[in-house]
Amino acid sequence: MKLIRVHALSTFIAMLIALYAIFIFAPTERTMGFIGEVQRIFYFHVSSNWTTFLATFFVFLCSILFLLKERREWDIRAATAAELGALFGTIGLITGILWAKPVWGIWWTWEARLTSFFLLWLILLGYQMLRRVVDSPAQRAKLSAVFGILAAVDTPIVYMANRWWRTQHPAPVIAGGAGSGLDARMALTLCITLAAFTLLYFYLWRMRCELERAGDVIETLQRQLQTQGMEVR
Amino acid sequence: MNFLNQVGAILWKDILTEYRTKDVLTSMLIFGLLVILMFHFAFEPDSLEAEKFGPGLLWMTFIFAGILGMNRAFAGERENDSLQGLMLAPVDWGAIYLGKMLANLVFMLLAESIILFCFALFFNFSLLPRWGWMVAITLLGTLGFASVGTILAAVSMNTRMSDVILPILLLPIALPVVIGAVESTAAILTDPPGESLTFWVRFLVVFDVIFITLPLLLFDFVLEE
Amino acid sequence: MTYLFAAYTAVWVVLFGYVFSISRRQQKFHEEVARLQELINSQKRS
Repeated sequence: MKLIRVHALSTFIAMLIALYAIFIFAPTERTMGFIGEVQRIFYFHVSSNWTTFLATFFVFLCSILFLLKERREWDIRAATAAELGALFGTIGLITGILWAKPVWGIWWTWEARLTSFFLLWLILLGYQMLRRVVDSPAQRAKLSAVFGILAAVDTPIVYMANRWWRTQHPAPVIAGGAGSGLDARMALTLCITLAAFTLLYFYLWRMRCELERAGDVIETLQRQLQTQGMEVR
Repeated sequence: MNFLNQVGAILWKDILTEYRTKDVLTSMLIFGLLVILMFHFAFEPDSLEAEKFGPGLLWMTFIFAGILGMNRAFAGERENDSLQGLMLAPVDWGAIYLGKMLANLVFMLLAESIILFCFALFFNFSLLPRWGWMVAITLLGTLGFASVGTILAAVSMNTRMSDVILPILLLPIALPVVIGAVESTAAILTDPPGESLTFWVRFLVVFDVIFITLPLLLFDFVLEE
Repeated sequence: MTYLFAAYTAVWVVLFGYVFSISRRQQKFHEEVARLQELINSQKRS
């Protein structure tokens, strides 16, 4: 079997196991004293946020590699990673908002993690925007790589700044953050979900890169036909 | 010419052009004063509220006036096709970055000092007792903003809608500067100054160091075709 | 419970929307390839 099939199949199975773990295996939250079932949002929420950070890290890495090697492949990887980061960031934000309402009673709060995550999401959208408005492919790759590196370095600074910002003000405590006395079965469920999302991320990344490469091939074909005097457009 | 002379030459060139036209500085100033006017109508602050929102608003004014200036940083070079000449000149491209950045810094500081004066005047701020800190904070905050702004201005110069794309790229990256500058400005307004003052000033220093080094490394790639 | 339902639906909708957009892009590429093939064939015949 080809490796990509194995990858697809394992992603599929991991996702099924994760869903089983989330809805059936994991116990209903009781200790926090709120509406238990809703806690199950937590698994997907944490996982998609994790995937967003993973994607941002890859944007950083691939951008550096692109500037060093100047190979289109790294540009493709950086660009697609940023796109997936924005995608999972969107999921993370939506699930986060739907989690905050029943748990804290508010849709949104300007807490450090939320604020910096929101900003990261905006940065990733800005990155997409930047890629759209540069015409020359070579320049697009370089400019977005530069922005990608700046953005990735900025992200932890933003987070720290947000944490230190008005620390004396009471902020809602994030219940159920990893390690805060999580039930063993819950921790296991979280691990499975994280693994499933990571697999899903890599699978989508591969497919998305493949699509981008296909687009490149088509473009070269068009150009070749044009040089042979054919009316392509 | 050694590196510092190159930086100085480019800085001097920009200052001279600005001195002859005064385009950037005037527009930044007028814009800044307009924001102050808007602030008055939008919030109608009494002196207590002005003290509370003042630092934030002051820095918002600085930042938006700064973006106005940044947009022009490379636009002039582009319109006159002089960037090619600059790139062909026997200078390190890092020197182009530093020169441009310092020029932006100078313009912003000039505009800011007047905006700050008017701000203090209109809203009865007493910045005088701690003017030393205020100068340091303004310098550090503006330096951080100018260093990120200059490289992103160079990035957006090559795009189709450069003046629209610059704020989209710059504002999120410059957010830590805003936080640090606003917090430290708020800290010097209270008597005695808030304890967080030295902390945020140090934070600004760290940000400045990181975001001057990084653009210096990356700037060559932005200019390359 | 409603929130739980809403959250998982949202995840599903976003992911599906993304996959759908990818498949549309792929479809476009397929059409383009077919068109180019057609073009080459007609060129050869004439």
